[in-house]
Amino acid sequence: MDNKGSSQKGSLLLLLLLVSNLLLCKSVASLPICPSGAVNCQVSLRDLFDRAVILSHYIHNLSSEMFNEFDKRYAQGRGFITKAINSCHTSSLSTPEDKEQAQQVHHEVLLSMILGVLRSWNDPLYHLVTEVRGMQEAPDAILSRAIEIEEQNKRLLEGMEKIVGQVHPGVKENEVYSVWSGLPSLQMADEDTRLFAFYNLLHCLRRDSHKIDSYLKLLKCRIVYDSNC
Amino acid sequence: MKENVASTVVFILLLFLNTNLLNGQSPPGKPEIFKCRSPEKETFTCWWKPGADGGLPTNYTLTYHKEGETFTHECPDYKTSGPNSCYFNKKHTSIWTIYIITVNATNQMGSSSSDPRYVDVTYIVEPDPPVNLTLELKQPEDRKPYLWIKWFPPTLVDVRSGWLTLQYEIRLKPEKAAEWETHFAGQQTQFKILSLYPGQKYLVQVHCKPDHGFWSEWSPESSIPIPNDFSMTDATVWIFVAVLSAVICLIMVWAVALKGYSMVTCILPPVPGPKIKGFDTHLLEGKSEELLSALGCQDFPPTSDCEDLLVEFLEVDDSGDQQLVPAHSKEHPGQSVKPTHSDPDSDSGRGSCDSPSLLSEKCDEPRANPSKFHTPEGLEKAEKPETNVTQPQGPQSTSVEGKIPSFHASGSQSSTWPLLQPPSLHYSRSSYHSVAEVRKLGLGTAGAASTLLDKTDTRALKPSQTIETGGEGKAAEHRESESFRSKTDQDAARLLPQDKTPLTSAKPLEYVEIHKVSKDGALALLPKQNENSSRAEKTSTPETSKEYSKVSRVMDSDILVLVQDRRAQNLAPFEEPAKEAPPSLPQNPAAVDLASFPVAPSNCRLQLGGLDYLHPTGFMHPFQ
Repeated sequence: MDNKGSSQKGSLLLLLLLVSNLLLCKSVASLPICPSGAVNCQVSLRDLFDRAVILSHYIHNLSSEMFNEFDKRYAQGRGFITKAINSCHTSSLSTPEDKEQAQQVHHEVLLSMILGVLRSWNDPLYHLVTEVRGMQEAPDAILSRAIEIEEQNKRLLEGMEKIVGQVHPGVKENEVYSVWSGLPSLQMADEDTRLFAFYNLLHCLRRDSHKIDSYLKLLKCRIVYDSNC
Repeated sequence: MKENVASTVVFILLLFLNTNLLNGQSPPGKPEIFKCRSPEKETFTCWWKPGADGGLPTNYTLTYHKEGETFTHECPDYKTSGPNSCYFNKKHTSIWTIYIITVNATNQMGSSSSDPRYVDVTYIVEPDPPVNLTLELKQPEDRKPYLWIKWFPPTLVDVRSGWLTLQYEIRLKPEKAAEWETHFAGQQTQFKILSLYPGQKYLVQVHCKPDHGFWSEWSPESSIPIPNDFSMTDATVWIFVAVLSAVICLIMVWAVALKGYSMVTCILPPVPGPKIKGFDTHLLEGKSEELLSALGCQDFPPTSDCEDLLVEFLEVDDSGDQQLVPAHSKEHPGQSVKPTHSDPDSDSGRGSCDSPSLLSEKCDEPRANPSKFHTPEGLEKAEKPETNVTQPQGPQSTSVEGKIPSFHASGSQSSTWPLLQPPSLHYSRSSYHSVAEVRKLGLGTAGAASTLLDKTDTRALKPSQTIETGGEGKAAEHRESESFRSKTDQDAARLLPQDKTPLTSAKPLEYVEIHKVSKDGALALLPKQNENSSRAEKTSTPETSKEYSKVSRVMDSDILVLVQDRRAQNLAPFEEPAKEAPPSLPQNPAAVDLASFPVAPSNCRLQLGGLDYLHPTGFMHPFQ
């Protein structure tokens, strides 16, 4: 009798967990658009873009907060900003620099640019998490956000690939991205150099996440709402 | 030589400097770029604050270079954004690029440069306020009226292409209010307000924020008056008020129900009644007149006019008739009781009109017929504590309907015997020969007072009976009363005191003062405290008169057990049960004789603490 009762309780608990998970998973993009393996899964472009914009917006917010936190805590009075000029590894990717340029770029090109930037950040984000953990007095605000950004960046990449598959199907894409070589700087023994390396990384992340967010919003209004948001 | 030249040059320089200083002219102070802002993420402006101008006209220039470029540019537009500003138009604006901007102040004396400012247009976006704020009062027929607020995004911002995403916030307040009421409107450009106070003028403002920028300034105020008849009642407020008051009422009712009595006593403390030892306040519930009349006093507190009002004397006739003669006042000749004859039938029911009555109105005033005696009720009530001490007096009192004050000895048996006798009364021949006689007297008086009994149920007579039988008892009582009446007329004739004849007899009459009624109903009689008592002692002979002056107990509620009073005589106590016998009473003094009762006159006042009621049950038992 005990076993039966406990198994019932266990199954009830499992059910409860499942339901709660389903409810909680209504948050940002934790639910996959189409389960892998489904052949005829068609999520509308509008939903794809909406989800992508939500993700990019969220990532930039996190990056901005992370940068501000780091700046306030480690970079005061060190004049890092003067040195962080033209130091992002993604600057080799030619991306539009203002609205007009962005509007002149064809959306497929723009999409590939987005994808290039997103891919360029896979590696740096991974190392950022590792290195922030190793920082002395690892600040939780920075670490938790780094972890979250890494996670969401992967999801955004998936979503973008799906969008590309719908907008520009069949085209074999050149996977162009920038290689990041800033790892040795992050592991420098000199604290000042190391801190600047972090500063620079976070600064570039903030900028690139904003760029992606802006491009995506442009694309969304252009493709989904026909430039009438 | 060289030293001289050097010193001279220094001297001249110093002189020059001094003269300049004396003139108040100096190179300009360091300017400072204090704000850079982009209203739409396509252009931006920087403003600087000039330093001290050094007293000379100073020229300001702004120079900058961009990230990734090496050559320096100068500000393309000093005018558009006002003085001390530099406006970068679309051509000169690059997003996601750091601008390093410096301002140079130059005057005749020199120049100075500001600190470089690192500006990224991405992070300095602050739009203009929204425009065209319109307010409209809408009153649809089937819905609640509301205020409809509409606006447009700032003109420069490009929302349509999605370059900027704006979120709005409105705030409003009545004109005279101090605080603003703020609402977040999201990305929509209109808002509805449902709760407004009629009769006031409202002010509304709106501002906006780009997706990753700063809030704009508030738009200029728009106002709209709300007309007075504008029904904007919020039903929820009234519902809430109603529910709250209902809850409060329920709580109060519940509290009152729980603690009603204590609350009432707290708010309205009961008026303490007069406490007179030995006097029950319940007795005062009836009309005071009746009470006083029952007591036999004209006025209360009793005056000296009334004497002997409160003591009932059981006149014991030592003569052969053994009659019960009421201790009756000479001043009550109008009583229908006529002592026309001394009937050998000793249970003629002769007794004083007031006699064992407690409620007779005796003092100085001729009262109505014995038919109007209050006495029986008094008797009833007197007997009541005897038999049912612990029972509530409710039925009795209610039955009396306040006409007759309900005396009851609560607890103590020391009620007064309110039989009133004027002092001049000669309680001559009346003697209660037997219990039956007494009973008959009581019955007679009861019958006489049938009119008063009319409304008294048998409850009064027999408190142990239930109320349901009251009706029947009433009917029976009526019958009894009728029979009583007939008998009363007979007995009344015998009830009057026989004025002088008994006195002439050898045996003086002796009056007993009923001292108290003990708990088990024994009447304790006191001999009269004068010559009578001695007379009683002298004249008491066992064979002629057994003087049973002490009621030991009442059995079966209608039998008086009398014993000889030790004080009065030396006879051995002789207990004889008084039988519930029909009119014929045994002449045997050994049986059911009521010994002579010495009677002591008393004043017309309540004698407290020593006088008790004689339970009238024995007297009131149905005659038939």
